[in-house]
Order: sequence, then C-alpha cells, then structure tokens
Amino acid sequence: MRGKLDQFQKILLGVIVLYSIFVTIKNPAFFSMETLFDLIRTSSASMIVAIGLLVVMISGGIDVSFMAVALFGSYTTINLMISLGINSLVFAFGFSALLGLLLGLVNALLINWLKLPTFIITLGTQNLFHGIMTTFISDKSFGAGVLPSCLHGFGQAVLLKLPTENGSTALTVSLIPVALAGILTWFLLYHTMIGRGIVAIGNDEEAARRAGFRPFFLRLFVYGYFGILSGVMGIVYTAQNNALYPNKLVGDELMVVAAVVIGGTKITGGQGKILGAVLGTAIIYLLNSTLILIGLSSSWNNLFVGAILVISVAVTSYQERIKNRNHLIFTE
Amino acid sequence: MKRKLLASLMCAVLMAGLLSGCSSNEPEKKEEPAAEAEESAPTDTEEGESGEEAKTADPSEYNVVMIVKQSDSWFDDMATGVEQLRKDTGLNVSVQVPETGDAASQISIMEDLIAQGVDAICIVPNDPSALIPTIEKAREAGIVVVTHEAPGIAENVDLDVEAFVNEEFGKLFGEKLAEVMGGEGEYAGFVGGLTMDTHMSWYQAAVDYITENYPDMTCVTEEPYEDGNSIEGAHDKTLEILTSYPNIKGLFDCSAHGGGICEALREKDKLESVKVVSLALPSMSATYLKDGSMQHGQAWRPADAGYATCYAAYLLASGQGLETGTDLKITGYESVNVEGNIAYGNAPLEFTADNIDDYNF
Repeated sequence: MRGKLDQFQKILLGVIVLYSIFVTIKNPAFFSMETLFDLIRTSSASMIVAIGLLVVMISGGIDVSFMAVALFGSYTTINLMISLGINSLVFAFGFSALLGLLLGLVNALLINWLKLPTFIITLGTQNLFHGIMTTFISDKSFGAGVLPSCLHGFGQAVLLKLPTENGSTALTVSLIPVALAGILTWFLLYHTMIGRGIVAIGNDEEAARRAGFRPFFLRLFVYGYFGILSGVMGIVYTAQNNALYPNKLVGDELMVVAAVVIGGTKITGGQGKILGAVLGTAIIYLLNSTLILIGLSSSWNNLFVGAILVISVAVTSYQERIKNRNHLIFTE
Repeated sequence: MKRKLLASLMCAVLMAGLLSGCSSNEPEKKEEPAAEAEESAPTDTEEGESGEEAKTADPSEYNVVMIVKQSDSWFDDMATGVEQLRKDTGLNVSVQVPETGDAASQISIMEDLIAQGVDAICIVPNDPSALIPTIEKAREAGIVVVTHEAPGIAENVDLDVEAFVNEEFGKLFGEKLAEVMGGEGEYAGFVGGLTMDTHMSWYQAAVDYITENYPDMTCVTEEPYEDGNSIEGAHDKTLEILTSYPNIKGLFDCSAHGGGICEALREKDKLESVKVVSLALPSMSATYLKDGSMQHGQAWRPADAGYATCYAAYLLASGQGLETGTDLKITGYESVNVEGNIAYGNAPLEFTADNIDDYNF
C-alpha cells in the first residue's frame, strides 16, 4: 500500500492532467518546461508548510498560526541580521527555525494545558505572535537593498537553467528545502515510533494513550516540528520576494489548509498522505497560475479552488463510507 | 490615557483661573498644545460669532494637529514636513501617530482633540467614511477639519488636499512607459486590487493616454492585473504574463510593488526586453531603479503633502480662506486648484537612479 498511489491521489493526478490538457488546447504556450519550473518556484514556500500542516492534521489537530510563526521567525531573524550585519544563510535558516520551534512549543503547551479545540487556540496565538512581533520587535518594511545579500542569492539561485526563445527558464533552488521537508516527514511518519504515535492519537487519543503513547510528548513534537518548517518557509518566502514586510503571509493560512484538505487529508485526523498535500498545493497553484493563459479574470480562482475543495471533501467522505461498509461498520 | 488625564487637568486649572478672574500666562510647551488652545478658544468662538475680521493672521496663535495613518517610513517623512512648517511659520502644529492603523484609534485621538478645543485637525483617514460622525462632531465644535487622500468624503470636511489630480498622475505612468518602450509594443498594467479607486483611475488614465497618443502600443488585457498589494503577487502574475504574452515589452504597476515584476524579469533574463514603470517608495524600490531593472518610479512626497495640508488648515482656521491659485508655500502646491471642497496640488515626484537616494521614505 505505502509508496503506491491510492485511489484518491489518482483522482488528483487525473484532475491535474485533464486540466493541463484543457489549458494546452486553449493556449499551447502552457505546455512547456517553463510552466513546470514556474509552478515549482511559486508554490515551493507553500509546499513546505503544507507538508508540516499535514503532520498536525494527521495528529487530529489543526494549526492556523503557522503563517504568523513563519513571519515572526523570518522577520525577527532578518531584522537581527541587518542590525548585526550577519550575512549567513545557515544563521538565517537556523535561527528562524529555532524561533519557529519555540513558538510551536508554545502552541503545544497551550493546547495541552487548556484542552480547547486547537483551531481556537492557534487562532489566538496567530494574533498573539503577530502582535508581539509588530509591537516589540519592529513594524518597518525592508526593501531589496537592505536585506542580507545571501538571501537574495538564495532566492535567485537555480539548480538547472534552460534557454527559451527570448530569455531563460530555471529550476529554483527552493526545491531543495521542499524535498528535504518531504523526505524527513515521510521518514518520521512511516519509519519511526513517533510517526505511529501521531497517527494513533489522530485516530483515537484515548486508545493511543492506553496503547502506551504519550499524547503530550507527541503534541510537543508535532507542533514543534511544524514550527521549524514554518520558520524555514518564512526564510524561503522572504528570499524569493527579496523584500520583508511586517504584515505579509498572515492571512494566507486557509489557502494552505484548503490545499492539504484537497490532498485527501481527513480534517478529523488519523489519515493523510504527503503526496496528497503536495498535489493539493500544486492544484491550487496550477489553477491560480493559468487564469491569464486561458484569459479569465482572477475572481475565477476562488470559484475553482472552492469547487475542487468541496468535491475533494465529498470524495474523501464517500470513500470513507465505502470502506466502512466493506468492514461492516455502519455509522449512519 | 495620559493625554486624557492631562486634558482634564488642564480644564480644571483653566476653570480655576476663570473663577478667580485672572488669566495665567504660562509659556506653552510643544507637548501641551491644550494649554494654549484652551486659553484662546473662548475668545475665538465668541469673536467667530460676532465677525470674522477679528481673527488674527498670526500663525503662532493657532493650534493645528495632524493625525497620520500609522507609524511607517511614509508618515515619518510626513512628520518631518509638518515640523518644517512649524519652523517656517511659527504655527503651533504637531503630529499624532495612532498606535494601530485603523479608524478606531484615529477616532479616539480626534475625540481627545475635540475635548482640547484645538483650532484645526488634519487627518489622513484609514477608513474615510468611518470617520464622518467624528468629523461632524469636530466641525460642530468649531474645529476646522482638513483631510488628505480622502476625496470621497470631501463634502463632509472643510477641505481635502490632494497632491495631484489622479488623472494627471496616471497620465504620467502612460507617458513614462511610452517613453521607455520607444512608443511601440505590447504592454500590461497592474493595480493593487480592482476595487481600489485611486489605482484604477491611474490605470485608466495611463491606458487612455497611451491609446490616444501611441497607436503602435497595445494593451494586452481589458482590465488590469491585480497584484494584491504584494511583491509575491506581482512576481507570480508577471511569470504568467511572460508565458501568455511572450512579446510583451512593458509593464507598469499602480501599486508600489513593481519590485516583484523586476525579480520575475531577472529570473527569466528578460530585464533587457521588458521595461518597468511603477509607483515606488524609495525605501523599497531604490535597488531596482539603481540596477536599471526599473526604468522609472513615481510617487508624491509625504513631507510636502503634510506641509501643504497643515498650512491649508491654518489658512481656513484663521479665516483667510483658500481659492484656486492660493500658495501653500511648498513645492508642488504653489498654486492649488480648488474644485468643490478639494484642493489639488501638482506635486508628482519622479524617481530615477540619480535622485532616488535624495529621498528617505
């Protein structure tokens, strides 16, 4: 089962292929390496947090504070780098990830202490983290010239460059953090006891507890891990934009949540695939980045994403029912 | 909180002063504009009722407070303009910065100022229509209210000061784009969002100007692209435009995020073939103008706008009035054009690689 495409991922791939054929018919310019490279470039930052969010959702929780964490981590780190004159990518990623880890742990501790729905708690911490940042750290914007040069170097760096008719197209180096996040998460989920525990508490916390898992420890791990990924994502995002604003990212959470849900992740926990989250994100960015090609205004984007979201939730729940029937479980 | 306490203390002192029938003559401090205002207010209103001629033209007799949107480099620069006005004319003018960039905090500052009885309030509204009730209250209390960047509520205030007629500013986008493109080729434009009135009128004016004067230039779309007021949005949309319209020769951005366009062009090695004109903040766009990826940037100087707005408020408060041709004593506003309740300057600011370092906002 593992490693192979399940039914749902086949559907997602089918949607991507059909849609791509449709766009190519409308505008042949779409069918090129350039489109693929552009898609990877624009979606890479969101992919990283989508993979992290997947882990949280498998554990039965949800986190809507991750964009605030990403912003907090990257903004604070880069602010520090500018004022101290540090110009090191390792420091940027390391320190931002560390801040992300700390904020993630705050989330986990609050969730464990208050025993409230994780959505409510992280909705609170989202505003809290952002507020702390703008109040106590800074709320200034930094332009291209002021940012450490290593960041811009990273944002523009490429793995592979192909010439096109009147320019060139390139595969961004941001693919590396995405791939690392994917592989690490895959290893954690499927090859460690922690991964088993995460799936177990997502399915039934009480049962997992009786089986010997410690939900508190697992939660610390899950939200801490997501915090780290968010911190990394913040740096990737800033490096790509080559500008630092105190008010970006926050507010874009739900798009990533939608991507992960489209990818077949169960919102109640216990089920979800990395490839699903990646495909879900890819679909959203694909829809978003082809409207100009097929000549539609940007309001169509919401319509498309909304429709795909509803359909995929319906398909997930339908499959669940079929599976339950096959196992002679009748819930309705 | 502190301010409220201060204001009520002032009132108490003043009441005591009135009761005992003497007027105190303490030297006024900058942080305590209330003292001066409270003392001059009673005479002002009495005389205002009996006749305008009794008002003095001495700027130091007037208390003007400017409320900006929030604390950022744009409004920091505006504050330096207001400070300059204070030095130049001796007008008692100060700047209030709301803690958060929303209407609520601006309203509470206005309420305080109404209680203090200042002569005039200048405000750059975060949400113009939300301020209307408070503005009416201030005007009922005899306070002159002058707005900046809020032509939509001009009929509710004494005056709205604009840096330029939007159509003229938009035309400048068109002129410059045509110039850098050599007057031919395909082009497209961005706005922050289709609902943003100023962006849309700039966009429309630019496209109209080009259509009229440069028949060899074609706009590839019916309506502008939206960058969602973000670098990321401008970048991602530019990638799409480059794929969809490989022959595109020029892009202009009516929101200040042309940097995203430049980043995308650099990735695609198209900096040579595609020209960029954008609304620009020196702090965010200097790099692109200097390395040549952005050919032209334009904006208006917040310091000058602040200067002109506060000076206009003084003119109104002192009963001197304002009409077409009035000089607001600062570059670009030497001869304003008054239409209805709006005074237009002619103060577009053009940036090039050479002058961008002279500005700090």
